[in-house]
Amino acid sequence: MTARDLDLTPGAGRPPGPRRALPVGRRSAVVLALASVAGLVMFVWPLLLVPNPGAGQTNPPFVFLALLPVLVLVVLVELTEGGMDAKALAMLGVLTAVNAALRSLGAGLAGVELVFFLLILAGRVFGPGLGFVLGCTSLFASALLTSGVGPWLPYQMLCSAWIGLGAGLLPDRVAGRPLRGRTEIALLVGYGVLAAYVFGLLMNLSSWPYTLGVAVPGHEGSLAFVPGAPVLENLHRFGIYTLLTSTGGWDTGRAITNSLAIVLLGPAILATLRRAARRASYEKVD
Amino acid sequence: MGRPRSPVLPRDLHPGAWWIWALGLAAAASRTTNPWLLVIIVLVASVTVLSRRTDAPWALSFRLYLALGLFVVCLRVVFRVLLGGGYGDTLLLDLPLVPLPDWAAGITLLGPVTAESILAGLYDGMRLAAVIICVGAANSLANPRRMLASLPPALYEVGTAVVIALSLFPQLAESVQRVRRARRLRGDPGRGVGALRRVVVPVLEDALERSLALAASMDARGYGRAGELPAGQRRVTGALLVTGLLGLCVGSYAFLDATAPRSLSWPMLVGGVLLAGAGFVAAGRRVHRTRYRPDSWRAADVLTAATGVAVAVLVTVVAAGRPDVAIPDPAAPPALSVLALVAVMLGVLPAFATPAPISLLRPEPAR
Amino acid sequence: MIEWEQVSFAFDGAERPTLRQVDLEVAESEMVLLAGRTGSGKSTLLRTVNGLVPHFTGGRLGGEVRIDGRSVRRRTPRELADVVGYVGQDPVTTFVTDVVEEELAYGMEQLGLDPQTMRRRVEETLDLLGIADLRSRPLRTLSGGQQQRVAIGAVLTMHPRILVLDEPTSALDPTAAEDVLSTVSRLVEDLGLTVLLAEHRLERVVPFADRLVVIEDGAVRSGDPAELLASSPVAPPVVELGRLAGWRPLPLTVREARRRTGGLRDRLGDAPPAARRGPGAPEPRGAALVARGVVVRYGTTVAVREVSVAVPRGEVVAVMGRNGSGKSSLLWALQGTGRRDGGSVSVAGSDPGALAPDRARALVGLVPQTATDLLYLETVEAECDAADRQSDAGDGTCRSILDRLAPGIDGERHPRDLSEGQRLALVLAIVLAARPAVVALDEPTRGLDYAAKEQLAAILTDLTRRDHGVVVATHDVEFVASVADQVVVMAGGEVVSAGPTVRVLAESPAFAPQLSKVLGDGWLTVEQVRQALL
Repeated sequence: MTARDLDLTPGAGRPPGPRRALPVGRRSAVVLALASVAGLVMFVWPLLLVPNPGAGQTNPPFVFLALLPVLVLVVLVELTEGGMDAKALAMLGVLTAVNAALRSLGAGLAGVELVFFLLILAGRVFGPGLGFVLGCTSLFASALLTSGVGPWLPYQMLCSAWIGLGAGLLPDRVAGRPLRGRTEIALLVGYGVLAAYVFGLLMNLSSWPYTLGVAVPGHEGSLAFVPGAPVLENLHRFGIYTLLTSTGGWDTGRAITNSLAIVLLGPAILATLRRAARRASYEKVD
Repeated sequence: MGRPRSPVLPRDLHPGAWWIWALGLAAAASRTTNPWLLVIIVLVASVTVLSRRTDAPWALSFRLYLALGLFVVCLRVVFRVLLGGGYGDTLLLDLPLVPLPDWAAGITLLGPVTAESILAGLYDGMRLAAVIICVGAANSLANPRRMLASLPPALYEVGTAVVIALSLFPQLAESVQRVRRARRLRGDPGRGVGALRRVVVPVLEDALERSLALAASMDARGYGRAGELPAGQRRVTGALLVTGLLGLCVGSYAFLDATAPRSLSWPMLVGGVLLAGAGFVAAGRRVHRTRYRPDSWRAADVLTAATGVAVAVLVTVVAAGRPDVAIPDPAAPPALSVLALVAVMLGVLPAFATPAPISLLRPEPAR
Repeated sequence: MIEWEQVSFAFDGAERPTLRQVDLEVAESEMVLLAGRTGSGKSTLLRTVNGLVPHFTGGRLGGEVRIDGRSVRRRTPRELADVVGYVGQDPVTTFVTDVVEEELAYGMEQLGLDPQTMRRRVEETLDLLGIADLRSRPLRTLSGGQQQRVAIGAVLTMHPRILVLDEPTSALDPTAAEDVLSTVSRLVEDLGLTVLLAEHRLERVVPFADRLVVIEDGAVRSGDPAELLASSPVAPPVVELGRLAGWRPLPLTVREARRRTGGLRDRLGDAPPAARRGPGAPEPRGAALVARGVVVRYGTTVAVREVSVAVPRGEVVAVMGRNGSGKSSLLWALQGTGRRDGGSVSVAGSDPGALAPDRARALVGLVPQTATDLLYLETVEAECDAADRQSDAGDGTCRSILDRLAPGIDGERHPRDLSEGQRLALVLAIVLAARPAVVALDEPTRGLDYAAKEQLAAILTDLTRRDHGVVVATHDVEFVASVADQVVVMAGGEVVSAGPTVRVLAESPAFAPQLSKVLGDGWLTVEQVRQALL
């Protein structure tokens, strides 16, 4: 080999370190953080709402239903702004299809939500950027396929995008040693359980006042959201509401499905995904 | 001699037009709890869907949204009864009060059921149901694939990923079937953990191998040819997106906190959305692609979108001027105004003033 | 037009280079055919033209590739998209959209052409390829040949000057392959494109190739097809016959060969020797599988209509027929796990359809069309161990069968990284670990080159020596001629003709192998001629 050779081995001429399918630069990180703050405000709005003292009935902020898609789109535009590599795009498309298929497998069974475990594993292997986008596209594509497009869709998209993002941010090394094998699975199971409950809580919190209605001033005492009441008091009501309606069934079901799927299929699927990543040479995998 | 009249040829409207129309109706519905107005909005959406939908699979989903809307309304009323907290004077049913244990201090179940609280729940539920049904109408009228194809250039990559996913989906189902059948050839009774793995791994391997071949084909066919933007322009894009998001952060917080200065609420939200929109345009400039047979905006499409915007604006005007019409008191029969009626009925215009969709042009079935 | 100067290439981490000092020149409007065994570097050489190697695959490229005298080694595939049109093996995996028209327009959208030009070129291409009636069809519903024609059209719309086709028929059945190759030959004649074509069905394309390039171990030789084929590692049966008979120049078509058979016929005498088995092969000993009146139906369509077939021990029965003629359904029904709505199947006195899957596979083992569906573990070793456990065979059974079928496969390799032939051997070994009396193979020759097919034929012959009955569903006439004792031809779910290979193949001209077209009835394989000349 001479100096004139065109050397395109992964890593040649590039700074060392893992190369992700969809790199998140510093600016993208800022955009992600800002969008997450704004998104979080729209999820936990019942806890932040301070009503106008003079007004009677408070309306839920329907405008957020229109603004949340804007937030999601801004992040997607930012993450793909540099142009997306063909391999990453094809991988994203394929994984989206698999996720959508998994989601339709679980549809109809209470709490069996199969969409998250592959999202978590893919986020882990391909990094936070692809994890975020995959979370969005998976929910969107499956909504198109199962006519699940509704006002709730942007909320679901952002929430699962966070799950994919978080999975990509989990530590890759502990004390200088790569995190692999059983410890890795244990970590992912822990994350999967957490993700299941957080997803349930956030979705419930944002929809609570829509489902139960907003309490009319002077007639509190039910589980409904009371605008302007102290945060802890509302949180208490919400806690009971979510415990009664979701935690026992949906959320726990989701957590169990996640952990079972990660324990049983995780090692094989991680190996498969890592092999694909290596073949597409996104990442040096040891 | 006048100009020859050109006949209105059947064509599918721009999917964006249907979405703007439907979101306008949804926005209008979100401003009111007046049951008459909400019923009219749902009727307007249903009539339009029935007269302008095609026979594509997504178009048949509208009744699912109607069912969901009904479910939401029932749920709200049931919750009203179950969770008590009744107010008003017209007692319908006197149920015993069931206090919850200590950890739920102060919260009771059941209790007296009043007409006012049931009606309040009903109105509120109808509002949410109307919003859902309006989105469902858009979903039934707009072809999702055309919608993906007319995404702004900045969202090209994500749109392509979804298009790939949608085309791949049926193949995955075939792949799963094939592998399940093959599994038995290895003497697998088809139960247990191993069985799942034996299906999931080959299907996933297949799909991932396919993704590499697809990427090579896309690369060889010029995907990603669009040149890089100069660093300066990219910085402009970044600045627009970041400031837009900042605006949205501040605006959404101020929107919730009624004690914050009002100038931080709506102006910030609108400004944020505008800046973010400018960011979209700036980011899209790097893309030098064109569209094959793009959907165009013509008179009917503009009319449809404008109708939606008009409905939203007029109902907002009504809400500001006649709060008793927009948010009626459940204790009295809901009032109506001419302007409110005109506002919501305007929405039905696209059901008649737009060309028929193409796939409706099939020969009439024989009687 | 295209020039390779001292081009070398090695994949990342590979011990040996894939291409070694390649010097080659292709002139404008030339049609060049690349021949070589699987893994010889054909694809790599083709992919250097549009930069997929090294920009997509990674690795080290040495030397210079020029198009029109300008170096392209630093240019990426997307930059070359409007100069080089590249078509891969399996059309289905290359589609980005899902409707014919949109797929044709995809490349032009990337080039940023204006809508009117796009519209015009789509119409032109639809006509050129004869697929105008398919314009709004979903790609998924097309046949394999139609799909590959759409894939070719999708690069032609960009008006490339060079067309690179990398084994465009290897994933297709013979009818579809014919379809695609005749389209390619028309494009060569009509458009005057410079075409580089790698293809293993040499007999179909050699006649219209201007030049042949043979690749062996990363080194190339190029020249006139008839001269070069004399020493090519891959060659169609007529050429093999020509080599055997010492004809110069070599015949490339059946017609050319026929005109020279005079002398050879005299040397061969009248009676062809027994079709397949040489002297000393065991005589068949009774039926391993007997099926009577098998019916398979899906809804209202009847896939298999009252088919009776018997598979004797120690013999190979080939089931031939078009796509959709019911071959696969029949095989699955015989195996027992597939649908069977009527009739009976008996293997050693029991009906595999009535048994649990793990017992059924001990009677009939089936290698499905997509053999990789059976593989789900990370290494060859793990697959073999799992197969031993699943069939209650002793440790190492599967591995020793694999070593017999395809020696020297590293146990640590990932099954999906094996070559097509090695993968087939692995799946066959897994199936054989259960010691089935009958082995059924569904389209096993798809994607195999001549040498791999010969190896497979040897494996099947070996199985018959070990007393297995073998059923093969295939389109491949030459393969059937070399392995099958009996042939069953199916059409529309019914048996059209059945009997000894020589008779059935002679009866229908569509199924006649090249040798019998040249030498007349009874002659099926080059091997027979070799035996007769001894």
